[in-house]
Amino acid sequence: MAELTRRDVLKLAAAGAAAAVPGLPRAAQAQTTQKRELVVAQGGDIAFLDPHLSTSSNDIRISFNIFDNLTSRRPDGKLAPGLATEWKIQGQTTWAFKLRSGVKWHNGDPFTSADVKFSIDRTLDTTLKGNRVSTVLTTVDRVETPDASTVLVHTKKPDPLLPARLGFYGGQIVPKKYVETVGPDKFNEAPVGTGPLRFVSWTKDDKIVLEAYPGYWGGRVDFDRIIVRALPEMAPRVAALLKGEVDLITQVPPDQGERVKANAGTTVTGALYGGLYVLAVNSKRPPLDNPLVKQALSLAVDRDAIVKELWRGRGIVPNSMIAKGDNHFDAALPPLAFNPGEAKARLKKAGYNGEEIVIETTAGYLAGDKPMAEAVQAMWRDVGVNAKVEIFEYSVRAQKIRDKSFKGLWWSDPTSTLRDPDGMMWRLLGPGGPQDYWRHPEFDELGSAARFSVDEKFRAGAYKRMTQLFLEHLPWIPVIQPYEDYGLQKYVEWTPDPLQQLEIRRFNFKFRRA
Amino acid sequence: MRGLLPFLASRLLRAAISLWLVSTVVFVVMRLSGDPVPLLLPPDAPRSEIFRVRAELGLDRPLPVQYAFFLGNALRGDFGQSIHFRQPAFRVVLGYLPATLELGLTAFVLAVLIALPIGVLSAVWRNSVVDQAAMGLALVGQSAPTFFIGILLILVVSLNFGLLPTSGRESWRHLVLPALTLGAFAMASISRLTRSAVLEVLGADYVRTARAKGVSEALVVAKHTLKNAAVPIVTITGLQFGSLLGGAVVTETVFAWPGIGRLAIHSIYNRDYPIVQCTVFLSALLFIAINFCIDLIYGLLDPRVRAS
Repeated sequence: MAELTRRDVLKLAAAGAAAAVPGLPRAAQAQTTQKRELVVAQGGDIAFLDPHLSTSSNDIRISFNIFDNLTSRRPDGKLAPGLATEWKIQGQTTWAFKLRSGVKWHNGDPFTSADVKFSIDRTLDTTLKGNRVSTVLTTVDRVETPDASTVLVHTKKPDPLLPARLGFYGGQIVPKKYVETVGPDKFNEAPVGTGPLRFVSWTKDDKIVLEAYPGYWGGRVDFDRIIVRALPEMAPRVAALLKGEVDLITQVPPDQGERVKANAGTTVTGALYGGLYVLAVNSKRPPLDNPLVKQALSLAVDRDAIVKELWRGRGIVPNSMIAKGDNHFDAALPPLAFNPGEAKARLKKAGYNGEEIVIETTAGYLAGDKPMAEAVQAMWRDVGVNAKVEIFEYSVRAQKIRDKSFKGLWWSDPTSTLRDPDGMMWRLLGPGGPQDYWRHPEFDELGSAARFSVDEKFRAGAYKRMTQLFLEHLPWIPVIQPYEDYGLQKYVEWTPDPLQQLEIRRFNFKFRRA
Repeated sequence: MRGLLPFLASRLLRAAISLWLVSTVVFVVMRLSGDPVPLLLPPDAPRSEIFRVRAELGLDRPLPVQYAFFLGNALRGDFGQSIHFRQPAFRVVLGYLPATLELGLTAFVLAVLIALPIGVLSAVWRNSVVDQAAMGLALVGQSAPTFFIGILLILVVSLNFGLLPTSGRESWRHLVLPALTLGAFAMASISRLTRSAVLEVLGADYVRTARAKGVSEALVVAKHTLKNAAVPIVTITGLQFGSLLGGAVVTETVFAWPGIGRLAIHSIYNRDYPIVQCTVFLSALLFIAINFCIDLIYGLLDPRVRAS
């Protein structure tokens, strides 16, 4: 009778482990393709196709391609014409938009200014069940349509950023006639837009199928069909790419990027996130009400080490509260400094006496939040700060945001939806904003004046001074501006977007053909 | 068939009480775990907006009122509107159910078809290489976490050998890996239990008698042993079917399988009370129904159960 010895078991286990080491699925994969179908896998499910019901990145990757906006935010960060060909401000509070002619909805109806008025009114309509974008265009007073190809948007006060606001979520233009005929539920199930992709079918939690809209004003896309699948787990998502089942995947973590690049047929491309990862500070809680303590905490963070070790170099060190790529980003300012000696000196000067300083973090709401919190905790302990990390759950975080009840510091990933300090820093840190834990009269006056000024020179000066005040008081401790990486087959030519859109229009997406 | 009606009646009453308890616990736990509204709105939403959405969802009413509404409607199969999908929760869950049943039943059938013969053979050829290898594998199947088995299968079978698709739900080929992953634990338990049940019976006096009177070994196993070993095997098999529903949560996430397990996870994260309540209610109902069937099968297999 053959007895199985422990050695045999170990041998078997070793063989199994060897088989599990991921190798090349097959010999060098094609660098060109004849494919007419694009398959994309993203990390989450699509919840809504009606653009007024969602701000989630999984949804807007689709809805920004079914619909167009008046203006369009390109992956290079510039604002380009969309359904409006030109726009200008008339006086202080009226923006005039000239509409593109000859545009048709996917169902053949003509696109007119009535659709634009209907869409903006619908964005503002708080009685629309499930409206999640009603706060985006609150500067708008009313919309006028003098003729079929002109739209006048009147704002309550001067709004320099209105064209930018209309270029992101809440600004998608939906068809008045179709929505009114079929009602909101049917519209969400089978949307009609003017965008490059026409809706075909949607299997919830599985996939959505769209086809090229041949009559698209920006040119037909470089494929016949697109399938977007939801693959929530990272390892299977990467495996699907390596095996060639999908052409493009979202959310490739830094440690997986090397694996994707090592594979012959696939590669990684990234966009510098249009926003920052910061440790937001409850500046009302002692000792965090003391600017010297916050300066010390900032000086004690070795951001280069975080970028290099935790992000494998996939990020940059911020220099202020304005993200690189935004209006009024000051490239001359040095990255935030690491100086533990100076940190100790400032703690001493502040009279810091070992009070506990708490970082609250989820495990995974933000990429790398928990490991980064632990790294920062260790760095702070090195300079003598009694730092503590507490883990909480997503919904508790959401609750604390609402109640403004954080104990000390917490991770925030402010997104610069307008690519301007007003849409990020001021939206969050301004009086009454969701991260209003610190007030400074001069900072407030400048922020408010810049919001309502159409004079870019004045705004530039205001943000310069606000940056100085910010760096002294640090209502946020900015830590990293990361890259968001995507995995793709080498036959895909595509530039990712800093605001997580999936821009597949003609100018930005191409299959490399033989 | 004396006493069948009271037997049925007491089982049904117990089932109803279990269902009520389960749904009440879920109702309370979901409400203890946090408010869905901050998750639905952008962080800069004004207070008025928060109150509007709370009222829209009926969350502004006192808890006892919400509970009364919930129970009354649940009895009529109405679990309310999903917060996330804005559709009746029952309809949403029903839409996801076929995928889970397909996966669960396949996993179950695979598990039974593989585990039963292995268990019997391991018992008959006790301490042989077959027995050692099978029980070793069963130990792994029972102790390795589902997500580990799933990812390992994807890496080895799908990526290294290029045999089957990595994920998704399309053809039967997409079903193999998730069904094996989900069935692994059940397979392991059933084969281990079958082995010990058969071993126990093989040592019984009547088996020795059968052998003594010259019945062939194959017949001894097939006729005298299996039927007597069946009661514990049916029990564990039934219980395993129930636990497959729980395992579906992880398996469906790893393999992007659009079933109620994944729906439940999302809904818990999104605080989508109606969906969670409906999913748990239906799962509990299924579990209770299975146990009910097992009780009936017992009765058929073993007259002593009926009598007591």
